[in-house]
Amino acid sequence: MTSVIADPARDRPPGTPGTPGTLGSPPRPSPHHARAPRRPVLTAVAVVASIAVLLPLVFLLVQAFQVGWGTLDPLLFRSLTAQLLWNTISLTVVVMTLCAVIGTVTAWFVERTQIPGRRFWAVLVVIPLGIPDFVVSFGWRAIFPSFGGFWAAVLVMSMAVYPLVYLPVAASLRNADPAQEEVARSLGLGRLTTFWRVTVGQARLAILGGAVLVGLVVLAEFGAFEILGFRTLTTEIYTEFTVGFSTSAGCAFSLILVVLGAALLLGESTLRGGGRGARLGAGVARQMRPVPLGRTRPAALGGVGLLVAVALGVPVGSIVYLIVRRGSTTMPPASLLGAAGNTFFYSACAGLLATAAALPISLLSIRAPRREVRILERSNMLILGVPGLVIALAFTYFTEHYLSGFLYQTPLLLIVTYAVMFFPLAVVSVRAAVARSPVGLEEVGHSLGVPRHKVFWRVTLPLIGPGLAAAFCLVFLESATELTATLVLIPTNAETLATQFWAYQSDFAYSQAAPYAGVIMLIAAVPSFVLGRWFDRLPARGGTAEPQGPAPGTMVVL
Amino acid sequence: MKSVSIAGVAKAFGGLSVLSGVDLEVPSGSFTAILGPSGSGKTTLLRIIAGFERPDAGSVRLGPRVVDDADHRFVPCERRRIGYVPQEGALFPHLNVGRNVAFGLAREDRRGTRVGELLELVGLSGMARRYPHQLSGGQQQRVALARALAPGPDIVLLDEPFSSLDASLRASVRADVHDVLRLAGATSILVTHDQDEALSMADQVAILRGGVIAQINTPSGLYRLPRDAELAQFLGEANLVEGTASGTMVQTALGQLEMAPAAGGTAGRGPGYGRPVDGRVKVMVRPEQLILDEDGTRGIPSVIRSYEYFGHDAVVRVQPEIAGLSELVVRITGAEPFVPGARVGVSVHGAVVVWPLDDRGPLSAPREAERERITHA
Repeated sequence: MTSVIADPARDRPPGTPGTPGTLGSPPRPSPHHARAPRRPVLTAVAVVASIAVLLPLVFLLVQAFQVGWGTLDPLLFRSLTAQLLWNTISLTVVVMTLCAVIGTVTAWFVERTQIPGRRFWAVLVVIPLGIPDFVVSFGWRAIFPSFGGFWAAVLVMSMAVYPLVYLPVAASLRNADPAQEEVARSLGLGRLTTFWRVTVGQARLAILGGAVLVGLVVLAEFGAFEILGFRTLTTEIYTEFTVGFSTSAGCAFSLILVVLGAALLLGESTLRGGGRGARLGAGVARQMRPVPLGRTRPAALGGVGLLVAVALGVPVGSIVYLIVRRGSTTMPPASLLGAAGNTFFYSACAGLLATAAALPISLLSIRAPRREVRILERSNMLILGVPGLVIALAFTYFTEHYLSGFLYQTPLLLIVTYAVMFFPLAVVSVRAAVARSPVGLEEVGHSLGVPRHKVFWRVTLPLIGPGLAAAFCLVFLESATELTATLVLIPTNAETLATQFWAYQSDFAYSQAAPYAGVIMLIAAVPSFVLGRWFDRLPARGGTAEPQGPAPGTMVVL
Repeated sequence: MKSVSIAGVAKAFGGLSVLSGVDLEVPSGSFTAILGPSGSGKTTLLRIIAGFERPDAGSVRLGPRVVDDADHRFVPCERRRIGYVPQEGALFPHLNVGRNVAFGLAREDRRGTRVGELLELVGLSGMARRYPHQLSGGQQQRVALARALAPGPDIVLLDEPFSSLDASLRASVRADVHDVLRLAGATSILVTHDQDEALSMADQVAILRGGVIAQINTPSGLYRLPRDAELAQFLGEANLVEGTASGTMVQTALGQLEMAPAAGGTAGRGPGYGRPVDGRVKVMVRPEQLILDEDGTRGIPSVIRSYEYFGHDAVVRVQPEIAGLSELVVRITGAEPFVPGARVGVSVHGAVVVWPLDDRGPLSAPREAERERITHA
């Protein structure tokens, strides 16, 4: 800025009286991040965590390199591969599309219309997220024994994971300025056109982010498809590694899977482009007035009710029925308790580990955003595209080849694997919390003569506490409902709820399996509820602008 | 109480120069306002004084101690004994009012009477258990001030503390803060883009322009004797006309006017100001220096263009019926409305400020050429 006055008077003819320098406030480029400080300790921890997270990818590449193209080539290019690839891709695309539609439409009805019982539906439609996919397919299978194949897989997955789209879209609709819809209507657009051009436009990034997550989940899913007898790359990898003991074939398929996952992530960042999400300009959005539904009210109510009945009613009802039908006599309570204890312990440790490891890189990327930090952070996100099974196999391989089996099938390795698998989820939550705790508050703390480490304990930590809790809950929830990696790495003589359920289920002992599924759902319900509350409060509390924050979609990675 | 002296402070962000050699002396116990528009670097300057930011060059001295020499001597923020009142208060949302105020106190002092005293000082006794979100904007700002004053700082830095308050609240909070700072006796530096705020609160006002201090003076000195036309217009409305100066008088289309004595603080340091100017000059007449004659007999015959009534005063725009004079802004206290189209007489009251024609701001050389072209056409 070279002149004090941005004054229109300067463009007037000479001698014209001037007006006082009334100065607006154009967006000031925030200079405070320009020269970011170095934080050696934080950086060291962040680098170590990133190395651990990227280890599985290294494993795959090393493995593929060692096996050599000559071996991989015939494994990759055969009719089985083509069939599996077709199964996987078609299923992924169909489920992604369905979830995008169901999630967006449901979010609009719940957030923007006068649908009766809004708060009630808002809670119910999210709960299916806490039910593991393998439990959902188990529930269906228990009711309809011949349930299976492609469309069964589509139904189960859509009903199990559509909340991944619903949550971010609902958040972004809550955050978006409802006046935009009103403006569209005033410009002569009909309600449907408005929905398509404005509402979907506002939630575009959220829909995209949610759909990509859905895709990644479908790519990595094992248990649900195994129960439904539908073969995908992931089920095949599991078979190759555990039954066929064919490392090279498993490795070849894993590579394809990683490429697919990376393609999804890449596609998202390309499509996301430079567009802004919800709104431009400051100012608090006026409280929006929900759209009256009129004659479509019964249909809307019926639709949401049907969704809840199918997504929530079927698995829960089926499990409850199985438990009740046989009474409590066949239940082995001691074993159930032990498995629940193990699940709880492993998941809690993984939650703590992942959250603690996510803190340094989150602090760095917000408070000292250098380019290297951003690359480090981004690279961690790659692990999202790697199925848990592959990560587990990578750690198995490492312990076998470099530690001669030490750590293999110990609780520690399982916990580390969970923490690595769900590290990006922890980073996203912690990062959002750090971004929303203004650095200005820490500066005020310092200006009052309080040293740096004390400011961290007295200001930073209390402020980001809810975000840390959310990260913990997220990792806990995912670990407690994880099946595939757990089956590979479960410590000898120990069972978790998921593995014990799986053991009974594989023997067609449905009644014995049901209580385990029930307890998993109960354990998962608590963190789901906490998370729901946290994300529900996100937009309302978001006071500070976030410089390089994640898109709404990735904010609500679950 | 400590003085603040800043010498040659420069700062650039990513190659973009924000401050380029700022010199500023703030006497111990005084209230200085740093005035500048958004993006002029005033917040950066304040952050350098606070120790949040380091300068690329220059030095900062608080009292006798150099706290930053842009090299290896650097006293971190927490050891500078400053009080900092940021924009919008920035109260700790997880702590109640009492704990916010007590934040900078030693553990044993937190339970003492200090917090109560400070809350009383800012007029918020009995609010200690409230949380920031339960307070109004003005109350939050007062708590932020109490928090800054609690550890007994030598220097208080205020970063646009009133910009988030609405107009009706701003004046009262401003007055209260002023009183509290006087009572506390701390050296105060206020950063603002609001000229009313700077003029009404400060003992001395420094205008930051293009990364350097353009002028420092008392508020009245600054308003009466701005260094150039641009500063004149920044501090209030100004009518600019051309004239020919000789001795202490200047001949203009508005008549022969007396030139203001070149005195007042450091105002006279600039080029073209503080020494007699002869020849073609730019002349500034403040709107309140113009007098309207309703009969149209005395002064330059003119036509009323518009009349805006503000209660305490009114602004009238008039077009003199003399070639070469543009519309003039007149501020009057009279409540009698003027009807557009009515004929009045305009005359000047008091001494006027002049600058050479090639000075910054309107009426500069290109404009002059353009005017010539128009008159000749």
